Amino acid sequence: MNKLHINPGYCKGCLICVENCAPKAIKAADKINSRGYNLPIEDDMKRCSGCKLCEIVCPDFAITIEIDETNNKKK
Amino acid sequence: MLKYLKERGPSGARLPLILCPGCGAGQVLNYTLHAVDKIIHEDGIRKEDLAFISGVGCSARLTSHYLNFDSAWTLHGRALAIATGALLANPELKVIVFTGDGDVAAIGGNHFIHACRRNINVTILCVNNGLYGMTGGQVAPTTPAGIETTTTPYGNVEAEFDLCKLAQTAGATYIARWTTAHPRQTIKSITKAIRKKGAAFVEILSQCPVHNKTSPVEMLHNLKKNTVSIKKTKQSEKGKIRIGEFCDITRPEWTAKYQHIIDQYSR
Repeated sequence: MNKLHINPGYCKGCLICVENCAPKAIKAADKINSRGYNLPIEDDMKRCSGCKLCEIVCPDFAITIEIDETNNKKK
Repeated sequence: MLKYLKERGPSGARLPLILCPGCGAGQVLNYTLHAVDKIIHEDGIRKEDLAFISGVGCSARLTSHYLNFDSAWTLHGRALAIATGALLANPELKVIVFTGDGDVAAIGGNHFIHACRRNINVTILCVNNGLYGMTGGQVAPTTPAGIETTTTPYGNVEAEFDLCKLAQTAGATYIARWTTAHPRQTIKSITKAIRKKGAAFVEILSQCPVHNKTSPVEMLHNLKKNTVSIKKTKQSEKGKIRIGEFCDITRPEWTAKYQHIIDQYSR
């Protein structure tokens, strides 16, 4: 399963990543953080296809997707 | 892409970016770094061979403040003039000018025309958000007709500037227009533009969620809705902004021509 890393210090909660995620592996958090932003959180990372589009479209360099190599080899 | 950014400076942490949430300029920087990463890995170009030059504006803040490359933060609209000087000093340099629409179309319009005319080996990336974002959302030459800004509260009456047509007429060798809602295409175009020997111009239509008072996600939807690929020529798609690669030609490059003269007359 691919891993989602979000840097809460860099993210400003614009949610462009959530909009661009076609398999809907991430979603917006219900809670607002201490800086007043709705950060994206994992919804179901099993659905993540590893396209890294969320990483590309992030304006604040806050997202990193760690691709699970072992899972890919099995396929 | 954090390896290409200066996370810490002399006065402490530099990131997060100074831009507003959901700003298109940050996205364009991310796309540019993906293209640069591809070029560094595939073409064997060193990090020192690249130089980023910017003028003044929201998009200009990105280069010298955050990038871990050689960069210069120059006068308003004069980024292309500094780029010309940098290329004359070192013609092997790959110069990327990171600029906004107020920088390249308004105050630096003449520098832009003549950089295209001379065909200097420079990549011009224009983050076009259609207004002057840093000074408070005033009307710019690229604001579409009818759009409300702080200085045109009843809608803009002026016609907008088509920068791609301007670049094509002036003589740039590679011209493309994309939006921030087309990430893969933009990365591909920026990669092509950096590899091009000659003046390459990529205009990226971007969003300003603060001054247009719309959420970033809605603005990206509008960008996708209001643009149409250059390959489609249906009647129903008239009135939309045309995006795609407009021009990819070869013309003699300026510094190469100078080098030719130097070789001819040096003893």
